[in-house]
Amino acid sequence: MTIRSQLLKGILDGCVLAVIEKETVYGYELSRKLQEVGLADVSEGTIYPVLLRLQKNKLITGKMIPSESGPNRKYYSLTEAGKDALNIISEEWNQLSVPINALLLKGEDSNESK
Amino acid sequence: MRASELIEQNNQKREFLTEENEKYYSNLMIYIRTRLSLSEQQSEEVLMEMLEHLIEGQHDGKTARDIFGNDPKGYADEIISQLPPEEKRDLVKFFGQITINLIGWFLVMRSIAILLIGLTQEVDTTEYILPTIILVALILLLVALGVKVIFTLINRSAFDENTNEKMQMIKAGLYGAVEFLVIIVASYFIKDFGPSFEFPWTVSLGIGAILLLISWLMKKSINYNPSAP
Repeated sequence: MTIRSQLLKGILDGCVLAVIEKETVYGYELSRKLQEVGLADVSEGTIYPVLLRLQKNKLITGKMIPSESGPNRKYYSLTEAGKDALNIISEEWNQLSVPINALLLKGEDSNESK
Repeated sequence: MRASELIEQNNQKREFLTEENEKYYSNLMIYIRTRLSLSEQQSEEVLMEMLEHLIEGQHDGKTARDIFGNDPKGYADEIISQLPPEEKRDLVKFFGQITINLIGWFLVMRSIAILLIGLTQEVDTTEYILPTIILVALILLLVALGVKVIFTLINRSAFDENTNEKMQMIKAGLYGAVEFLVIIVASYFIKDFGPSFEFPWTVSLGIGAILLLISWLMKKSINYNPSAP
C-alpha cells in the first residue's frame, strides 16, 4: 500500500460524505467526482466497501432505481446522522491540518528560502 | 427492487461484459453469493452496482482489474466484511419455506409410490408416528448440511485458478450418495414402534399438495416483501 493510499484510508469516508452532501449520486458518478477533484489514486472499486460501511452506520441511505432499458442505479443521500458526522469530520480535519501543515511543510519553507 | 429481480437482470446484463471482465466479475459474484449468512437483498444490490460500474467502465476502455484491483479475493472479502447479515426473521421464513416444500414433495412422492406399487401388490399404508418424524428430521438435517457443504466447496474454489471442476462434481456427487445411503440404512434399521395410523395415498397426496401450495405462497411473499428498504 502506498503512503498516499494509507493516508487517504482514514479520510475517504469524509470525502465520500462531502460529495454526497452536495447532491445525490450513484457509484460511477461518485468515483468520477472524486477523481475530478484530484483524488485520482482512489481506485474506483474502493468506494463500494465505503458506501456499504456508511449505509450500515446509517450515515447515508441508498435507493435502487430500476429502469426499463438503461442501467439500474443506486442513488445515495445523506441522513441527518450523516450530516452531523460530516461536520465532525470537517472540524477534526481543520484542527489536525493546521498543526500537521506547520510540522510537515516547515522543511519545504526553509528549502525555498535558501 | 426485489433480490429475485436483481438476480434476473444481473444474468442478462453480464452478457454485455467482455470475456475477461465476465470471468473476473463472475468469480466475485459466486464468492459473495455463496455466503448464505449475508443479507441477500444488500448483496444483490451491491453486485448490481458493481456490474453497472463495470459495464460503464468497459465503455471507457477500463478492465475489471483497473476498477476493482489486482486482488479480487481481497476485494471481495472487504465487501463481505461490510455487508449486513440476513435478518433472523428472514432466515426462519426461508428455511421454513424449504422445509414445508420438502415435506410436501415427500408426501406427494409417497402417494405416487404407493399408487404404483399398489398396481401389482398389496401395500401397507400404516405410518408409525415417531419413526417417521425421526426419518424426516434426519433427511432435513442432511439436506441442510449438504447445502452448506456444497456452497462452501463453491465458495472456496471461486478464485482458485487450478480448480478441477470434475473433482468438485465428484466430491458433491459423493456427498449426495453418502447422504442417500445414510437415509436408506437409517430407514432399514429404525424399527416400527409407538403409535401408528392409517395414511392412505389419497390423504398423503392431498396434504402434500396443500403443503406445496403453502410453500409456493410463502416464496412469493418472501420475494414480494424484501426486508431491506
